[in-house]
Amino acid sequence: MQQQQQFGKYQLAILIIVFLIGSTPLFELGITAKQDAWIAMLVAAAAGLLLTVIYLTIHKRAPNAGLGDLYKYHFGRYIGGFAAMVHALWLSYESMRNVRDVGELTTMALLNFTPKWVVMLLILAVAAYTASKGVEVLARIIQLLFPVVLFSYFLVILLVFFSGLVKVNQLLPMMENGPMPILKAAFPNLLAFPFGQMVVFLVLFGHVSEKKSISKVTYWSQIGVSLFLVFMNALILCVLGPELADLTTLPLLHVVQLVRLANFLERLDVVVTLLLFIGLFVKIATLYIASILMVSEVTGWSYRTLVFPIGALIYAASFLEPNYTYHNWIGLDITLKIVPIFQIGLPLLMLAVGIRKKYRAAALGGAQST
Amino acid sequence: MTQTKKPALTPLSPSLRANVQAVNARFGGSSDLVVRLFRSDAAPERELGLLYLEGLVNTDVINESLLAPLMSMKLPPHMERKSDRLVEALRTSVVSIGGMKEAAALEEGLQQLTDGWCLIFIDGSTVALMAAVGGTKERAIGIPQTQTVIRGPQRGFVEELGTNISLIRRIIRTPDLHVQTHKIGTQTHSNVAVMHLHGVADQSIVKEVYRRLAAIDLDGILESGYIEEYIQDETFTMFPTLLNSERPDAVAAGLLEGRVAILVDGTPIALVAPTTFFSFFQSPEDYYQRFDIASFVRTIRYAAYVMSMLLPALYIAVTTFHQEMLPTTLLISLAAQREGVPFPGLVEALLMEMTFEVLREAGLRMPRAIGPAISIVGALVLGQSAVQAGIVSAGMVIVVSFTAISNFVMPENNMAATSRVIRFGIMIMAGMLGFFGIFISVLFVLAHLASLRSFGVPYMSPIAPGAKNSGLWRDVFVRAPWWSIMLRPLDMKLRNPRRQSSGRKPPAQRH
Repeated sequence: MQQQQQFGKYQLAILIIVFLIGSTPLFELGITAKQDAWIAMLVAAAAGLLLTVIYLTIHKRAPNAGLGDLYKYHFGRYIGGFAAMVHALWLSYESMRNVRDVGELTTMALLNFTPKWVVMLLILAVAAYTASKGVEVLARIIQLLFPVVLFSYFLVILLVFFSGLVKVNQLLPMMENGPMPILKAAFPNLLAFPFGQMVVFLVLFGHVSEKKSISKVTYWSQIGVSLFLVFMNALILCVLGPELADLTTLPLLHVVQLVRLANFLERLDVVVTLLLFIGLFVKIATLYIASILMVSEVTGWSYRTLVFPIGALIYAASFLEPNYTYHNWIGLDITLKIVPIFQIGLPLLMLAVGIRKKYRAAALGGAQST
Repeated sequence: MTQTKKPALTPLSPSLRANVQAVNARFGGSSDLVVRLFRSDAAPERELGLLYLEGLVNTDVINESLLAPLMSMKLPPHMERKSDRLVEALRTSVVSIGGMKEAAALEEGLQQLTDGWCLIFIDGSTVALMAAVGGTKERAIGIPQTQTVIRGPQRGFVEELGTNISLIRRIIRTPDLHVQTHKIGTQTHSNVAVMHLHGVADQSIVKEVYRRLAAIDLDGILESGYIEEYIQDETFTMFPTLLNSERPDAVAAGLLEGRVAILVDGTPIALVAPTTFFSFFQSPEDYYQRFDIASFVRTIRYAAYVMSMLLPALYIAVTTFHQEMLPTTLLISLAAQREGVPFPGLVEALLMEMTFEVLREAGLRMPRAIGPAISIVGALVLGQSAVQAGIVSAGMVIVVSFTAISNFVMPENNMAATSRVIRFGIMIMAGMLGFFGIFISVLFVLAHLASLRSFGVPYMSPIAPGAKNSGLWRDVFVRAPWWSIMLRPLDMKLRNPRRQSSGRKPPAQRH
């Protein structure tokens, strides 16, 4: 096995923050609950935190193990290995969805005549380069991008407030139709995306050097980022109102286009596009690397040899869907039905089963070696 | 001596003539080898031989401190007969020169001869004496040519290693400043000095420097660039992972921060390692100027660096793909300028950037006497006339000029060169894919930067990985007041991370 790459607790916090933000604030998620979308978001965030509690409990059983090892420890070599491989493929699939998103959005919004395969190849090439350098470099590059993300959102929020676009009464009336629409919007869709995606960190927790602070850092950063996402959700609602927010593909882009200040700050679209790309890139790279790590844990093949095959797999898979409508339909209808298996089903099963006797020593032995 | 293959040593013969002949043979009868045979008053039956290479030694010293006392020496009678005691006596009580050594093998003697020492053979003795009589004419210490400052010392390194070491010793006056000299180059035997501040620098980094230096087996080291390519962590990177400096104060500052300096004989450029991306943006002057001004200037430097990398690409992307980004008036005026231009934006930009690079290289290489010609050709013919002839637009000339000027802001030339090369790649990407191309290129560069290390220290620290101690941020993007910079910058590795005790803020004076 290659030498274990590690990163620190602050890097973990930034990784969680940027990963969960991803491209989420650009969309108005949970809009089926109309003006209560933000409440749906809040509910889903709370549920997401519960999921994280499960993940962290499982993680603590074998602090040095990745998700692939955890599957093996819980379900045995063959069943666990199989489940891990399926999960790894699922991670690649999710990575592929983001690659396809980049392709679709770029050809739609920026480059109308550029073939999609070029765009997707390039973003995947950067992700593959990052992946080939390992988890450590992923953590660092996200740390480098973090200030850009932070500053951009800050700028957008500031300008939206200054241009007087925020009308809080757009959020009224609260819970017009009772709590059911909210719950329907929150579960499973909002829980699955973005909060349930935290499951990918089960792959990465093993690489954090400061084991003791993992739980604390994870909870706090997830709480922080959840509140931010809820805030952004509410902000878009306040500016656009539920009807308009439902209609536009990229509501935040729409919000930003409304900003007019001093005849000068008018073209902030580029900031939003940048945020979108950074968010998608971080998701692509993280999921891609997680997938490689899992396959490597299960099969014992070296990390480096897997970078190219899995990258090629992701690239090839991104052509399977014929068009954007189809891509969206699969994403919203099919994917969200399957995703709870990996995010909730399997972790709960693991929690219930407990580590098999045979592997107990291995799980703890790994812990003692640090 | 750090050669991997040591040549077999030939012991000296007791016969003076045989030894002199052997030396002469090894030098192939070179005409600058001076052999002076003489006899001493004290032991007239013994012949002595003095050998040196003309031009490498100071003949005054030889005459006054070596030849004169040797010829007129008086020895107690019991000493003269035994050759080994004679050598001892010559060494202890006759020759009045600081650097003295004994050689038992021919090769040792030959090596010292080429270093500017002289060799004394004594008939009947198998041991030769060697005396340091070097002292050739060197360029005087002058103003640093490549890194200029307004406020600060105006002394630069010269080509001679001893002088350079002394320049640093004159700044850091402590015995803790350790120097180790290695001879590298199987033919040139160049002296390479490694300096570090004992008790401050991380010993494992110092050892690593020694280890990497020992692995070099090239025939000649002519400049520190040779060493740099052998000891850097990553060869295939455009970013320099060792700091170059010709300023003793900059090197001394590096040593005080716990870095290791590598000085090479024959060049005024010293290497400092480990280094981070951000140290290339720090001019020595930042520390001599007021901190607020220095911080402002440093911010400008970062901005200029980004500009010099991205500006032409942004211009291309905006004019070719994203015209809607520009305010309408500017768009109209730009479009009007570009009306007669026959080329697409990318070609136009590449043309102008190439022209500038050629001009720049020409300005460096051509003889000083025809210097003014370049400004006429550059400014008038290529700038103004190209626009008037409608080959390029005026906007492009502005962009290219500003990019060029931004590039000169960098205090470190090798970091500036990096952006010049990367710029072309980003321009091509922007010409093909607009903003998306720029985004992809920048991500690539960032991923690459994040993966680099310099002697084990992450290149982007203290940003990525972020430093745990916020004290390390006080000298990255801004330069905090001196009394507040408590820590040395390379956090995890140093033996002694603190520079000063806390609470040194000067008290406010009350009247």
